[in-house]
Amino acid sequence: MHKRQSGAGWKWSTAAVLAVAAVLGLFSGPTESFGLDVPRLSGRVNDYGGMISPPVRATLEAELASLESTDSTQVVVLTVPSLEGDVIEEFSIRVGDAWKIGQQGKDNGVIFIVSKADRKMRIEVGRGLQGVLTDLIAGRIIDRVIKPRFKQNQFDDGFLEGTRAIIAATRGEYKPAPKATTYISPHRYFEAVLVAVFLVLPFLRRINRFLPIPAGAAGGPLLHFLFTGGAASGATLGILAAVGAVVGLFVAGIGSGGSIGRRHGHHGTGGGFWGPFGGSSGSGGTGAGGIDFGGGGGSFDGGGSSGDW
Amino acid sequence: MKNHSLLAVITVLLALSLLPGCGYNAMQANEEAVKAAWGDVESAYQRRADLVPNLVETVKAYAKHERETLAAVTEARSKAGSITMTKAMLDDPQALAKFQEAQGALSSSLSRLLVVVEKYPDLKANQGFQDLQHQLEGTENRINVARSRYNKAVETFNTSIRIFPNNLTNSMLLHLKLKEPFKADEGAATAPKVKFQ
Repeated sequence: MHKRQSGAGWKWSTAAVLAVAAVLGLFSGPTESFGLDVPRLSGRVNDYGGMISPPVRATLEAELASLESTDSTQVVVLTVPSLEGDVIEEFSIRVGDAWKIGQQGKDNGVIFIVSKADRKMRIEVGRGLQGVLTDLIAGRIIDRVIKPRFKQNQFDDGFLEGTRAIIAATRGEYKPAPKATTYISPHRYFEAVLVAVFLVLPFLRRINRFLPIPAGAAGGPLLHFLFTGGAASGATLGILAAVGAVVGLFVAGIGSGGSIGRRHGHHGTGGGFWGPFGGSSGSGGTGAGGIDFGGGGGSFDGGGSSGDW
Repeated sequence: MKNHSLLAVITVLLALSLLPGCGYNAMQANEEAVKAAWGDVESAYQRRADLVPNLVETVKAYAKHERETLAAVTEARSKAGSITMTKAMLDDPQALAKFQEAQGALSSSLSRLLVVVEKYPDLKANQGFQDLQHQLEGTENRINVARSRYNKAVETFNTSIRIFPNNLTNSMLLHLKLKEPFKADEGAATAPKVKFQ
């Protein structure tokens, strides 16, 4: 009798202890792991948000690896799908503390963090680089280089040019571009040229066979003016007018003999015309750069700049 | 007999292993860490104070009617600058409270200024002002980071002088006092968030 009672009592107390432990666990759990977990450092470009295309990622990996080999400066890119309610400044300092980007003692690391869903970004700068990549310059890179591209969903371009601007700044070479009123991506320029050559000029040719020639001559400089904000010398505009006229001449010529060969020729000229704007994937292909990559022991103090788009 | 000597050896080894465990060195190292963390807090606040005159001048040029707000910022800055807090005063709760109050007053006067600025689109578009905003935002974030690191160092130190056997070592030899952490205040938890555009 007595034994049974004490046995039951023991069971009750165990249950009570377990219940208290469960409740404590429930309440201590979330407070202990407050904020978004720091993801694993998987290379120089950590695209957990899926915002960067593979060729651009490879280019960035290669450029950042070569930066470290020459300057010992470590720059890494991190994208996350969402901050899950965390504050980007607090998340980024935790990432910095965990990844220890930059060399120990030099603290020459930079982390470029982007959260896709929150449309927020931050450039976290190690103390050793704050003399060259100041809060101000980090802010300008966000405002003038990255933000305008992100706003147009040109993420590849934004990551590429933004990272290049960061690299230039760590070398003390970043020259802020004059404040751009509107940024129009090279891709838009390219599209406009395609529309002009393959839709507008043939349409004008229907009205008058020779209309594409003066239209091309006027259109070349006009497109350039529209898409670059008019920053061009007279000579450049003259060349563009000539190129436009030649394109117009080709368009005017098409159809008289159904000359596909000549169209190809025209396409070739066109390639030269928009060539400088197209290829950005460059010297990629060495995506393996990140495999034995790790932080060098650098530390962060909260310097840098944040922004959104 | 054999068992006894073995026991003796184990006892001696245990006693030896406990010697460095008295915490004499660890406590002092922790105190140095607190002082170093305080140095970062001070320099972050100093950095902000250095930005203020420039900010006030820039805003003044565009927002002449906001004399009161601007004067409040200048006054709060000089008040905060007049309160010096040396590393020897870190165990004085009142000194830290005064320091925190003065810096908090500067924080809130700055946030009022940034609210006022919303009325002046020309000022917000001004390059110099945008640059200052970036710098101010950077220093506010540095202050946050430095403060939370300082608090962490204080926590480690305070724990280390309270636990056994360190508390005995401390009361007999070192006489170190508990350090004072920053209390979360309106200005700290959500430092004046500089809002862009």
